[in-house]
Amino acid sequence: MSAARETRRSRFRALLAVSVVVLSACDSLPGKPDPADRYVRPDAVMDFETLFAANCTGCHGEGGRQGPAPLLGDPLYLAYAGPRELRRIVSDGVPGTSMPAFLDEKGGTLRAAQIDALVAGMQASWGMAGRFAGRRLPPYRGTRGGDAGLAYARARGRASFQIFCAKCHAAQGGGTPKAGSVFEPSFLALVSDQGLRTAVVAGRPDLGMPAYYAHAVGRPMSDEEIADVVTWMAAHRVEFPGRPFSQAAPFVGKEP
Amino acid sequence: MGSSRLRAAGDWLEQRLGLRPLFEGSAGHLVPSNASSWWYVFGSATLVCLVMQIATGICLALVYVPSADQAWESLQHLDFEQPFGWYLRGLHYWGSNFMVALMTLHMIQVFLFGAYKYPRELTWLCGCLLFLCTLGLAFTGQVLRFDQNAYWGLGIGVSIMGRIPLLGESLTSLVLGGPILAAETLTRFFSLHVFVLPGLVITLVVLHLRMVLHNGINEFPTRGRGVDPETYDAEYAELIERTGEPFFPNAIHKDLLFSAVVIGSILACAAIFGPKLPNGPPDPTLIDTVPRPDFYFLALFSVFALLPPYMETFLIVYVMPVVVLALFAIPFVSRSGAKHPADRPVAVAGVVLVMTTVMTLAVLGLSSDWSPHMDAWKSVAVPVEMVEGRSPLELRGAAVLQAKQCRNCHALDGSGGKRGPDLGDVATRLTEDQLIRQVLQGGGNMPAYGKNLSPPEVAALVAFLRTLSPADAAIAQNSADPLGG
Amino acid sequence: MSDEPREPMPPPALPPVTRRSFLFKLGLGLNALAAALVAVPLIGYVISAVVQTRADQAWIPLGSIGDFPERQTRLATYRNPFRVAWDGTTADIPCWVRRVGGERFQVFAINCAHLGCPVRWFPQSGLFMCPCHGGVYYEDGRVASGPPPRGLFEYEYKVSQGSLWVRGGRVPTLSQTV
Repeated sequence: MSAARETRRSRFRALLAVSVVVLSACDSLPGKPDPADRYVRPDAVMDFETLFAANCTGCHGEGGRQGPAPLLGDPLYLAYAGPRELRRIVSDGVPGTSMPAFLDEKGGTLRAAQIDALVAGMQASWGMAGRFAGRRLPPYRGTRGGDAGLAYARARGRASFQIFCAKCHAAQGGGTPKAGSVFEPSFLALVSDQGLRTAVVAGRPDLGMPAYYAHAVGRPMSDEEIADVVTWMAAHRVEFPGRPFSQAAPFVGKEP
Repeated sequence: MGSSRLRAAGDWLEQRLGLRPLFEGSAGHLVPSNASSWWYVFGSATLVCLVMQIATGICLALVYVPSADQAWESLQHLDFEQPFGWYLRGLHYWGSNFMVALMTLHMIQVFLFGAYKYPRELTWLCGCLLFLCTLGLAFTGQVLRFDQNAYWGLGIGVSIMGRIPLLGESLTSLVLGGPILAAETLTRFFSLHVFVLPGLVITLVVLHLRMVLHNGINEFPTRGRGVDPETYDAEYAELIERTGEPFFPNAIHKDLLFSAVVIGSILACAAIFGPKLPNGPPDPTLIDTVPRPDFYFLALFSVFALLPPYMETFLIVYVMPVVVLALFAIPFVSRSGAKHPADRPVAVAGVVLVMTTVMTLAVLGLSSDWSPHMDAWKSVAVPVEMVEGRSPLELRGAAVLQAKQCRNCHALDGSGGKRGPDLGDVATRLTEDQLIRQVLQGGGNMPAYGKNLSPPEVAALVAFLRTLSPADAAIAQNSADPLGG
Repeated sequence: MSDEPREPMPPPALPPVTRRSFLFKLGLGLNALAAALVAVPLIGYVISAVVQTRADQAWIPLGSIGDFPERQTRLATYRNPFRVAWDGTTADIPCWVRRVGGERFQVFAINCAHLGCPVRWFPQSGLFMCPCHGGVYYEDGRVASGPPPRGLFEYEYKVSQGSLWVRGGRVPTLSQTV
């Protein structure tokens, strides 16, 4: 009698133990919603990786590399542009180019704090703060000679172009199989002078174009040479780019 | 000794409750022995689902707040704070999926076995009403998940009703509880979901079962033997006489086993896949949303995308009700004749056709290739091999392709929107002139971009597109100018 | 469950009007009347949403016209004028405001004319796109491609004392626009 009661009691205990285990196992079931999946309003997303993947990857590529638009995942570029310029570009866009304004007040979809998070995230993830500490980088904003100096700057730029760029972009800018033309009027119409300058300074190491200091010539481009090359390229802008019939008289005939 | 005392107690109770005749007229009723078949288990399993839905639904209603400003919050609480809340939501969600699926199987089985024929016409009719009510429960339940999908899903429902001539406006207001989707809409759907429709379903189930008992369960069909209303009743009585056995306990074992499997599956699905979490709150100003219906309405969702626009209103307003009426009319059109599916090739083909269509549409709805991929332009990268080795102009073109949202509708080697053709090999298909024309003038369901692209943008874009061809493929040339000069 | 033995039904001649049969009929009639009286307020209550007892549109301010840059399209939101306290976020209604120039505007409902999904404006390509069935509209609301049977729904608007006002308050459908 008492033995039977004993078995019954132990059976009850076993049952209790099993249910406790089952109940606590519920907590680790794969279907249990993960608090990380909680909904976040799009204007409250502050995670850099998420923001970059959602807003920048399309043109600038994954990790800010190997996209058609300028290279962002590059310590030189980030040190050269600096957070203030980056914030301005992301907020306001670059008129005339494919870079749209992302700030909500300017018709974009991001709040200022989110743009700050993007800029800070780029600097933190890809910036390598110490690397250019001792180096003097070319200033972000270039100078362009006045009207009197313009023709002179162009002539110098043409010469510098021969030294630093022509190997891949060809002497007249017509392009070689390696890199293609930089004097194409439609290209020039879609890039700002600042964009040209950035391309000359930072290059596209991810796509095989060296930065200003890494040319095969063996010496870095000087600030002046950078400015002159940009002036020379910009001089090839035409009034009506992209129209097949206005290209009959390209700039080449009006060279200084 | 003990058993005789037990029996005495049983008799005492029976004398007062009178359960035996009730049992003999219901669970113990005689069924033809061939009706104890694995094919006959779907109806009872649907009923089991209904019971589970009621139980889990009552529990959810203990916590859920049917108020437009708090419903979404209370669901967050259920999913993340309330002990077992997520699991109950999972059971209710998967229970509804299973219920719709099993009900559909039941309906198909009844149709294929000719069970709707004389004398069971009204049983079928009642079943069709149950089908509609269950879909109604599914839709209203989806609304109670009061999230962005619910908000815009209702918007879709209302837009469909708005297409009905004359009545459209009134129906819209009736459903929304006013001229706009707001607080009263949710309470309407709440009372539909927890009072009106369950009440209707329970009533109809009782009626349905009453008719099943009254007319007897359909005998397993035999090849070559049909229904003749003149002689059927006598034949069925003779069959029961010959092979009849009580449903409980003789013929119920397959239903019992299958129901247990169904319950187990629902429990497992809820444990493994969990509930469907609400997406964003029902804030219409969060336009960053891509509304999608639950699985059962995906087929309908696809229909609206794939129909030629000129047919839509006609189809929604006139054809859909006719289809529903046709479903109701089946037993009155085909009241007698063959029952066995092998004798009814057209019926079988019809089921195969309808189910293939519905499933195909639903699967298409899962990926919704007709919808633009709204964020592709800024979130889906240009494949690296399409960036490398490109000229400055071509790179600008790729940036234009992204920045002008071309990518929302066009994929590059499979990534991006799928509404338009994949551009990964467009250079093998279109010449430069054709590309320029297509970009500027649009056509073939593509908007004209002429006003929104500057000439250099077009030049860059086309230059980029002209580089998009597989390495070994020739690019398209103007036939009048074969050298491309 | 009356215990009285039931008498066989009389042949279908004229049934005599007894007190019992009169009261039976009276009872039926009174209950029918009562049911009808109950039904009137019930039905009236339910369909009150349809029978309009109040205006469903009102003029709503969207903000100073200075908030809307020339030749641009911006999202604006307003509070539904006919809200109740427990509407929550559903009372916030968005719309697209296109400032054509000066005091000329176009204010579009957010709802796609196809099946009501929220259209999104893409300034770069100058298109509204719908995420549901792929309807696309030009900046002036005309259909550019996809299934919509008409252009975007447009609010009636006015500019008063430097503010932009629209007439809204109901969800636009094909049978009843904003």
